[in-house]
Amino acid sequence: MRPSATPKRPKGAALKAPRSTAKPSADRAPQRGARSQQTRFSSRLRAWGRHHRSMAWDSFYRLVRYPLGNLLTMLAIAIALVLPAALWLTLDSARLLDAELDESATLTVYLALSADDAQAQRIEEAVNAEPSVLGTQLISAEQGMAEFQQSLGLDDALAGLESNPLPISIVVRPESIEPAAMQQLASTLEALSGVDEVRVDLAWVERLRNLAELGRRVALALGALFGLGVLLVVGNTIRLSVESRRREMEVVMLIGATHAFVRRPFLYSGAWYGVGGGLLALGLLGVGNHWLSLPVAALAASYGASFSLPQLDVTGSTILLSCSTLLGWLGAWLAVTRHLSSIRPK
Amino acid sequence: MIAFEHVGKRYGGRFEALAHLNFRVARGEMVFLTGHSGAGKSSLLRLIMRLEKPSRGRVVVAGHDIAQLHASQVPFYRRQIGVVFQDHQLLFDRSIFHNVSLPLEIQGVEPREAARRVRAALDKVGLLHREKALPIELSGGEQQRVGIARAVVNKPSLLLADEPTGNLDPQLSADIMALFEDFNRIGTTVMIASHDLALIARLRHRILRLSDGRLVADEGAV
Repeated sequence: MRPSATPKRPKGAALKAPRSTAKPSADRAPQRGARSQQTRFSSRLRAWGRHHRSMAWDSFYRLVRYPLGNLLTMLAIAIALVLPAALWLTLDSARLLDAELDESATLTVYLALSADDAQAQRIEEAVNAEPSVLGTQLISAEQGMAEFQQSLGLDDALAGLESNPLPISIVVRPESIEPAAMQQLASTLEALSGVDEVRVDLAWVERLRNLAELGRRVALALGALFGLGVLLVVGNTIRLSVESRRREMEVVMLIGATHAFVRRPFLYSGAWYGVGGGLLALGLLGVGNHWLSLPVAALAASYGASFSLPQLDVTGSTILLSCSTLLGWLGAWLAVTRHLSSIRPK
Repeated sequence: MIAFEHVGKRYGGRFEALAHLNFRVARGEMVFLTGHSGAGKSSLLRLIMRLEKPSRGRVVVAGHDIAQLHASQVPFYRRQIGVVFQDHQLLFDRSIFHNVSLPLEIQGVEPREAARRVRAALDKVGLLHREKALPIELSGGEQQRVGIARAVVNKPSLLLADEPTGNLDPQLSADIMALFEDFNRIGTTVMIASHDLALIARLRHRILRLSDGRLVADEGAV
């Protein structure tokens, strides 16, 4: 008879089979069985938690006992994490830039030089009548000149001009910023009388976007690659520690340890490596940020802008730390599982 | 308790370690397994421990054909068999106390209860005063007694021993065997592989004699 043929019997009762087949009182037995099952379950749960706690501490002490070697392992993990994380941060700041660009995606309608203010009013109304236009802003020739001077800082050179060479322009905010839709709107607006030229400055928005997309994919690919690197680093370290504790594993398997029991200390070691590596990576990112922030601020100031390097916020740090912990755990799991099958008690 | 039915075991398809084994061991019996080295004593014990499956026939322990046990059930099966190894299989980086408590730790016995049982087992083998020592500080006979304490600490219903007196002098060997007899007296089924013929002949228990993987004699059966 197979033990699995009697599902109610707990796994451990295989050798006590004869007793359970002869129950003296049929109506009282199930109740008693249920209660003992319950206490057995809760005590087993407590034992499980106890083993987890003791293995977590045990593997932590093992790490602390050989600080240098383990620190090097964690540093390798940290370096593997810092590179994709830094790239991701850079892209994140580029994305902020991108969001600003979305708002400033506009068309500029340049009127003929001969157009006066009244004509400009009429054309603006016509433009506003287009269904795919969200809003417009009329910029007089003088306003245009002032903006031009401001943005280029060429006060002196432009002050020498006798007359204003700029036409009146209308800035149009389109409903859709899809290139095709904007192009179509542009040609519609260009057909209006009194309009000299419509300019869609989409090319560089597109370019920047493509660049950001490229960067995102590179970061993802690097992240995957370096994540694999972390798995390998942890896997290899755990493999060595499995080899050095091979005898111990054989012995405990001989006396009835489950695979989960044997695997547990190594999983905790792997997770600790991940935690340590993640913390070191956060530290490295902080140091790098501090080191670069001065020159970056100086550079931005020279362009009259203020820009600060992006930093990992709490969410980002949590994500990085959980990723590295998970990777460490997974690396250990792979290494131990691969070796468990090769461990045959003698 | 144990039944071998037409059991055969081949290694690598050629070498026949065991062939046509048929015998039964009753609950509470004490049996010696003997034969020259290489006769198949260890292979037989490995089959009972479910470290290996038979190539032919059935090994039935406590009513279960143990070849049918799923891999995940094997650890739970092994917890009910105490095993004493010739080379002790102790962990040398742990104290005697921790070595003996290992089976209880694996089973998740509550620490205070475990400590009580470990001390009881160590007391039984006369090593209570050495509980803090490391295995390396103990003599061969003492290490073997630690192995026995570990095998009995969770009160198994079946106790197996593979050459438990392998490298011990006659007096120590007799002491160890007396220990096994004590456990047998309280109802534990005991099976001991040994080639110390002089010793086991004196003890007057059932003897299974193996030769080239076959059962050639079954002496003193009740």
